[in-house]
Amino acid sequence: MKNLFLLLAAAGLAHAAPAAPAKAPNSGKLATVDAVRAAESRQPEFYERVEIPTPAGEVCEVSSIALLPGKKVAIGTRRGDVWVAEGAYEADVSKVKWTKFASNLHEPLGMFWKDGSLYATQRPEHTRLTDKDGDGRADSFDTICSKWGISGDYHEYAFGSEPDKNGDVWMVLCLTGSFHAHSPWRGWAAKITPDGEFIPVASGIRSPGGIGHNDKGDFFYTDNQGVWNGSSSLKWLRPGSFQGNPTGNKSAALANFPAPPEPTSGSRILAERLKFPEFVPPAVIFPHGKVGNSPSGVACDMTKGKFGPWEGQMLVGEQTASQVQRVNLEQVNGLYQGAVFHFLGGFEAGLIPVRMDQEDGTLFIGGSNRGWGSRGSKTFTFERVRFKGKVPFEMHDISARADGFEVTFTQPVDAAAAADVKNYTMDAFTYIYQSSYGSPEVDQATPTVKSATVSADGLKVRLVVDGLVRGHIHHLVLGDIKAKSGDALWHSEGWYTLNEIPAK
Amino acid sequence: MRTSSLLALLASAVFATAAEDGAQIYNSLCGACHGPDGKGLNGLPPLVGSEWPKGAPARSIKIVLNGLSGPVEVAGKSYAIDMPPQGAVLSDEKIAAVLTYVRKAFAGGAGPVSVDEVKSVRAATANRTTPWTADELLKAHPFPPPKTALKNLVGTMYKGEWKTLPDFSTLKPALMEDFNVGVIDVAQSGQKDAFAMVWTAQFDAPVDGKYNFTFDCDDFGALYVGGERIAEIKGIGPVGKRVKEVPVILKKGLTPIRVEYVEYAGQEVVVLGYKGPKDKEIKWLSKTKAKVVKEKVFIPIEAKDGVAAIYRNFIDKTTPRAIGIGFPNGLNLAYSADNLAAELIWTGKFMDGGHHWTDRGAGNEPPAGTNVIKLSDGPGVALASGEGAVVRFDRTKDDKEWKFSPVKLAAEFKGYDLDKAGNPTFRSAGEGVSLSDAWTPAAGAQPSLTRTLKAAGDKPLVVVLARDLAVTGASDASAELAGGLVVRVVSGPALKSDAATKTLTLTLRPGETAVLGYSFR
Repeated sequence: MKNLFLLLAAAGLAHAAPAAPAKAPNSGKLATVDAVRAAESRQPEFYERVEIPTPAGEVCEVSSIALLPGKKVAIGTRRGDVWVAEGAYEADVSKVKWTKFASNLHEPLGMFWKDGSLYATQRPEHTRLTDKDGDGRADSFDTICSKWGISGDYHEYAFGSEPDKNGDVWMVLCLTGSFHAHSPWRGWAAKITPDGEFIPVASGIRSPGGIGHNDKGDFFYTDNQGVWNGSSSLKWLRPGSFQGNPTGNKSAALANFPAPPEPTSGSRILAERLKFPEFVPPAVIFPHGKVGNSPSGVACDMTKGKFGPWEGQMLVGEQTASQVQRVNLEQVNGLYQGAVFHFLGGFEAGLIPVRMDQEDGTLFIGGSNRGWGSRGSKTFTFERVRFKGKVPFEMHDISARADGFEVTFTQPVDAAAAADVKNYTMDAFTYIYQSSYGSPEVDQATPTVKSATVSADGLKVRLVVDGLVRGHIHHLVLGDIKAKSGDALWHSEGWYTLNEIPAK
Repeated sequence: MRTSSLLALLASAVFATAAEDGAQIYNSLCGACHGPDGKGLNGLPPLVGSEWPKGAPARSIKIVLNGLSGPVEVAGKSYAIDMPPQGAVLSDEKIAAVLTYVRKAFAGGAGPVSVDEVKSVRAATANRTTPWTADELLKAHPFPPPKTALKNLVGTMYKGEWKTLPDFSTLKPALMEDFNVGVIDVAQSGQKDAFAMVWTAQFDAPVDGKYNFTFDCDDFGALYVGGERIAEIKGIGPVGKRVKEVPVILKKGLTPIRVEYVEYAGQEVVVLGYKGPKDKEIKWLSKTKAKVVKEKVFIPIEAKDGVAAIYRNFIDKTTPRAIGIGFPNGLNLAYSADNLAAELIWTGKFMDGGHHWTDRGAGNEPPAGTNVIKLSDGPGVALASGEGAVVRFDRTKDDKEWKFSPVKLAAEFKGYDLDKAGNPTFRSAGEGVSLSDAWTPAAGAQPSLTRTLKAAGDKPLVVVLARDLAVTGASDASAELAGGLVVRVVSGPALKSDAATKTLTLTLRPGETAVLGYSFR
C-alpha cells in the first residue's frame, strides 16, 4: 500500500501519466497537493521569499499593509496596532527599525497612505490617522465614514481597498457570523467617498478575504466557500451587481435600492444568472481543496515585469494553504473570467494582506492563523517576495476561444511535445449553487483536446477542444511539455472558469 | 483458491484507494485546522487523544455533516471554535473515507465508517440546518465511561431527611445496585432531594505510595479509605468551598473505599478524585469533576509610562463602536461612538485582551476592573428645545426609537484626538453644531477625571451625563450617581437632574464650555 501511494504521488508530480480517469475527475487528484509542494521546492530558482522580523516581543498578526513614502512600510495587526518599518526593502532585514504609529484600532483590514495620513478601514469605521505633531505617533483619528452596521459579532469583518482614481475607497462587509445579516449593509460592497459618503455598490457578498483592483481599475474581492458559494472565488464588483448570496438583500430597502435577486437554491450559477442580469458570476472560481481553501488579499501586478512576466495579472493570498495564487483575467461578453494557477508558497502563516510595490516590484505579505488554521505553522508573519530575474517556464495565461483555448507560455515551447494532444488533459465541472455550505463538484464533463497548434514564436498553443461547457470550470493539466530551452514546467495545472464562450 | 486470491487483491486495491482518498480529503479539508498529524494546530482542537472521533461513528458523522459550533472540550482543553459543515461538500462516500482515515490514523484504531452509516445519519438529520453543539452531541452520543481505579462499585440508597450524617447501619436501604462502571454519579440514586447514598468499592492502587484524595459534596458526606474515615464534609452547602484533600499511603492492590453522602435539598453533587504517585493530574472517580476551565490567558491592557491605553473592540454593556480608555490614575472610560456618549466608567484594571486576542475573539469583553458604572445607554447629545424646557430622553421596551423632549440631533462621530499622554478628545458634529468631549486624569488623593465639553455652532446642545441611573444630592454644582460616582461642575452651566427618567444633563450654548470632575466617593 505504501508503494502504491508513492507511485501515485510520483505520477502526480511529473504528470507524465495523467492519472485522472476521464469519468471520475474527482478521484486521481491525489497529485495536486503533492505536486504543489514539489513545485514550492523550486520557488527559490525564481523568487526570493524573506521573513521580515516584526517588533520584538510584539504579537503582529498582520491584517493590513500600507506603503509609505521613503520606502517605509506600515503594518496593521488584528490586535489593532499600526507599526511602521524602515529598512523592509534592505538586503539585511535584521536591521529593520519599527516605530509604533497607533495602538488598538479595531482589526484594520485595509490600509493605505495618502497626502500625509494613513487611512485604515477598521471594523466600525474608515479612519484617517495623522501624526500632526510629528513625533512618529498618530494623534488625530478622523472618522471618515461609519455608515454601516456592526452588531458585535466577530465575523462582521470590514475589508477596505486602496482608493480608486476618484479617491473612493471600496469596501466589502462580511455577513454576521458569515450566515446572517443582523446589521445594516452586511453582505454588501460599498464605496466611501473622500468626504465620507457611503455608496452601496454591490450586494450578494458572503465572507470576503480581501479586495483590490485590476489594471483597468475594476474592483475584485475574494469570497470564501460557504452558503451560496460552492467554492471560493475571485469576484468582480461590477457596480450594481449581485454577487450571489441573498442573505443581505434586505439592506437594499435602507437606500431605496432595487431588491437584489432571490435565487433558487440547488440550482447552478449559470442558470440563475441568466434569470437575473444583475447577477455577476464569479470571475474565477478556486476549486476548494485543489487551488486552496480560503482566498484572502488581492493585488494586481503592474510592476512592468519587475515581479516577473505577469503584468496585469492578479495575485491572490490564500489563508489555509499559506500560498499566493496567480490569476489571469479577460472579458468575454461583458463578463470577467479567466484562469487560476498555483504560484508562490511556503509562507509561514495563514495569509491575509497582499500588497505590491508597483514601482519596486516587491510583494509584501502578512498574515496570522489565529482562529483559522493554515499550513504555515507560525502564529503570524510578515514577509516580502522578489523576482530573481529567471523567468520560470509556466503557462502565462489561458484565454478562451470559440472552439477551445489559447495557452500562452512564458518561454517558447518545445514544439514537438507541445503539439501533441496527448500532453493536454482536460476535465470540467461546476458546483451546486445552494443555500447550504459549499458544494461537491458536479456535472462533470470531459472536454477533449482535438488539436494543439504551436505558434511560430513558440509562445502560444492553440487548443481546439470538443465539449466546452458554458459556466464550467475547465481544468487543464499539461503533460510532458518542456520549454525549447529545456526548462521543465514549474506548475502544470490551470483552472479556467468559462462563464462565457466567446464568439471567436 | 485462485478466485479468492484475486478477490483479495481486488479488495486490498479498493481498500488502498479508499484509505488514500480519505487521507487526501483530510489533507485538503481538515489538516489545516486539525493538523497534518491530527494533533491540532495553533489553538485548534486535536483529533489525537480526543474521545470525539472514537466510538460509534454517528457522532463524528454528524459533526462532519453539519459542523460544530460553540464551546467544546477536547482532550482536557476547552475550545471556542466553529467547525464549518461539510455535508453539502462531501458525498457519503467521501465522508466515510475521511472518517475511516481519521479513526485509523488518529483515533487509535477505531473501526472504519461505512457509506451506509453516513447515509443513514444524513437521512436521520436531514432537517438539521444549524451546526451541532457539543452538549447536544454528547447527550445523544455520550463518551463511554472511563475505566478507573474503582472496582466492584455498589451503591445503596436510603430515603429520608438528615442534616447530619446518620448511622447507616441502623437504616433500611430503599435500593441497592451494582454499577458496572468505575465512576460515582449522584444520578445513580435516581433521587433529587431528601436521600442518602453509600457507595462501596475497591480502590485498585497501581503502585505503592502516597495517594492524595480530593473529596467534596453537596450537601454533606464522608470518605473512608481502608476502613478509616479520612474526610468529612459537614452541613448543608454547595461544592467548591469545602473541598477536602487528604493524603493516604496505600499498598499496590485493592483497598476498600466507601463514600457516604446525604442530599438535603437543592443541587446534588459528589466529587471524588485522587492523584497517585505517578499521576501528573487528578484522576476523577466521580462523574462531576472540577470543571476543566479553559486556560485563561490574561493579556493586560493598561496605561504605560503615564500614557493612557486605548481599546477598540467589543466592550460589554456599551455599543459595538465603543472606545475604551484606561487612564494611568486607575480610572477607566468607555465612550460609545454610536451614541456619542461616555457610557461606562470604572476603577482598577482597564481591559483584558486575553479573550478578543485569542481564537476568533467572539463576543463582548467586560471591563477588567471594578465599580463599573453604566452612565447611559441612549443618545448622548441632542438639540435643546428651548430655555427651561424639561429635558427627557425616553424609551419603553416596545419603542424602537428614542422619544425626545429635546430635539433629536443627527450628529455623527467625527473621531478623536490623543494628546501626548494618550488622553482623548472625542469629536461629534451634525446639523451645524459640534461638540468636543475631552477627558484627562487628574492627580490627587482621590483619582478623578476632568471632562471638558465644548459646544460650537448655532444651536444649544443638551449633553446627557447619566440616564436611568439614580441621582442623589443633585444641585447645580454637583450630583452623586448610583454606585458612588460624583460629578462636579468645575466651571460652566448648571447640572439638571430629572427624577422621573433618572437623568442628569447639562445644556451648552454655542461656544460655551463646561468643565466637569468625575470621582468616586
